[in-house]
Amino acid sequence: MTALSLALVIPWAAGIVLALLDGRRRLVGWVAVAVLAANLVALVALATSVLPDGTVTVTTGNWPEGVGITLRADALGVLFALLSSLALLAATVHEVLDGVRERTFPGLVVLLAAGLTGVFLTGDLFNFYVFFELAMTAGYVLATYGGGRRELGAALVFTAVNLLGTFIFLLSVAGVYHVTGTLDMAAIAARMDDVDPNTAVLLAVGFFVAFAVKLGLFPFHFWLPTVYTGARPAVAAILSGGLANIGAYGLLRFGGELLPDELDLAAGALVVVGSASIVYGGVLAVSRRSASEMLAYSAIGQVGYVLVAIGVGGPVGFAAAILYTIVNALNKTLLFLTAQLRGAIVGAAFAVGALSVAGVPPAAGFVGKLELFRAAADNAALIALLVLGSALSFVYAFQTYQYDFWRSGRRGKRGTVAQQGVIAALALLVLAAGVWPEPLLSLSHDAAESLARGRP
Amino acid sequence: MSLVFALAASVLFGTGAYLLLDRDLVRVVFGVVLISQAAVLTLVASGLTRGSAPIYPLPEGAVSDPLSQAMALTAIVIGLAVTALLLVLVLRVVHAYRSPELAELARREAERDARLERVDEREHAEEEAAAL
Repeated sequence: MTALSLALVIPWAAGIVLALLDGRRRLVGWVAVAVLAANLVALVALATSVLPDGTVTVTTGNWPEGVGITLRADALGVLFALLSSLALLAATVHEVLDGVRERTFPGLVVLLAAGLTGVFLTGDLFNFYVFFELAMTAGYVLATYGGGRRELGAALVFTAVNLLGTFIFLLSVAGVYHVTGTLDMAAIAARMDDVDPNTAVLLAVGFFVAFAVKLGLFPFHFWLPTVYTGARPAVAAILSGGLANIGAYGLLRFGGELLPDELDLAAGALVVVGSASIVYGGVLAVSRRSASEMLAYSAIGQVGYVLVAIGVGGPVGFAAAILYTIVNALNKTLLFLTAQLRGAIVGAAFAVGALSVAGVPPAAGFVGKLELFRAAADNAALIALLVLGSALSFVYAFQTYQYDFWRSGRRGKRGTVAQQGVIAALALLVLAAGVWPEPLLSLSHDAAESLARGRP
Repeated sequence: MSLVFALAASVLFGTGAYLLLDRDLVRVVFGVVLISQAAVLTLVASGLTRGSAPIYPLPEGAVSDPLSQAMALTAIVIGLAVTALLLVLVLRVVHAYRSPELAELARREAERDARLERVDEREHAEEEAAAL
């Protein structure tokens, strides 16, 4: 219980202080790293109590239950919070080692961590929106980091499109409050059965559009390549490894727990949209020469797998979606951080990330793909699609590897030893998760079960 | 009453969406503002109840729903903050590109892509020549 409050309060309070300090000073950067590490430790402490004993709930401000805002940590939320916090920590250490260029950077990352932790650990619908907007606003400003023309143009597109997404989310929140009369997610899940199906489908579409924009799924992806290639590597890693998790989490939480009937209804459509994403992202990534452009299109393709798994549904499908989101976030954090460096260690780390994206053992991506195949086992067309997608990702990942590292086509700097250490540690983590997948598998199954248990 | 709110919100959203698609960046900001107002209006409309003000100690009889007002207030504050942010962003983009038009941004981007393409092509040709 204290761990839950601490995980939120630490980055929140520290973020406000850090935002006032000059982030270009090395000390401030390291304080931000320490705060993120403390957040991670609090989340681990929370996970150790949530995973064996079940959901931890706190009602803020000692209000009676049903009046105050509830914070709720279940297996799914804790897992996503841990993942995002880890990605943020790695990217921040990388950037601080490189030298922070703008005074606001450390404060913004810490506030982003506060927003993300809040989104994943809240049990209140409107509170979800507030934390969502907090994280997104920090993301908008981070997208301008570097201050060049391209960053600014990309940040403007990112902000305008995602604001539209969050306001559509808010419209759906208002709708849910109107039809159920409550904002508590558990109560909404219970009352949603009595709601007129037509209304519920409309609300579900609103939520789907909001999270699909965030994830960058195929018809909503248009902002994504500009932003991910325009932003600096550390920011791209933060956006794709941390912030994009909101999309997958939202689809799982709102689709799997709050609106399960509507999810079943739309299962076919989700699989089709996901497949379109996989093929579109894969084909365009093959046609790209530069690593960051390849990664941006690859991100569109990879989230397609998550959507297909959610569309398949059931405990197996949800577990596959959760596992694949974790693996994908780790891959993208690792690969984006290597994007502008060169050298032997960076090359090896990139190869590990590429193996993981393509789903080749011993990297973690293999386990993710395996779970996907398990989820889609009784559908020949889906299996064929997954094989096609994997083949495409193999081609684009190693085409870039060949171009960048074998022929030394990469113009970049070597990076300090410490930076290479961060990248190597991430690569080892991806390898370790692939060699010893047991903890990750059981965690994602726990999380999927916590979703199924939320069903009335 | 609900119908009036629904109509007003849909008109706001539609106008906002139209402006959002405009080439002029300032109009894009106005579009976002209008859409945020549509969301706020829907929040207000989602809890329309008649009654006295919900201030402790609660008066006899029905009180109006305080929650949708609290949500609307929060949404207004957040909307204000992101509008300010968006305006600053537009200002910086206008300074950087010396043009408030999206078309200009797109043109510069296309120019840059074409330049990169040419570099790639030249490198490719050189590699081919070296391989022969």
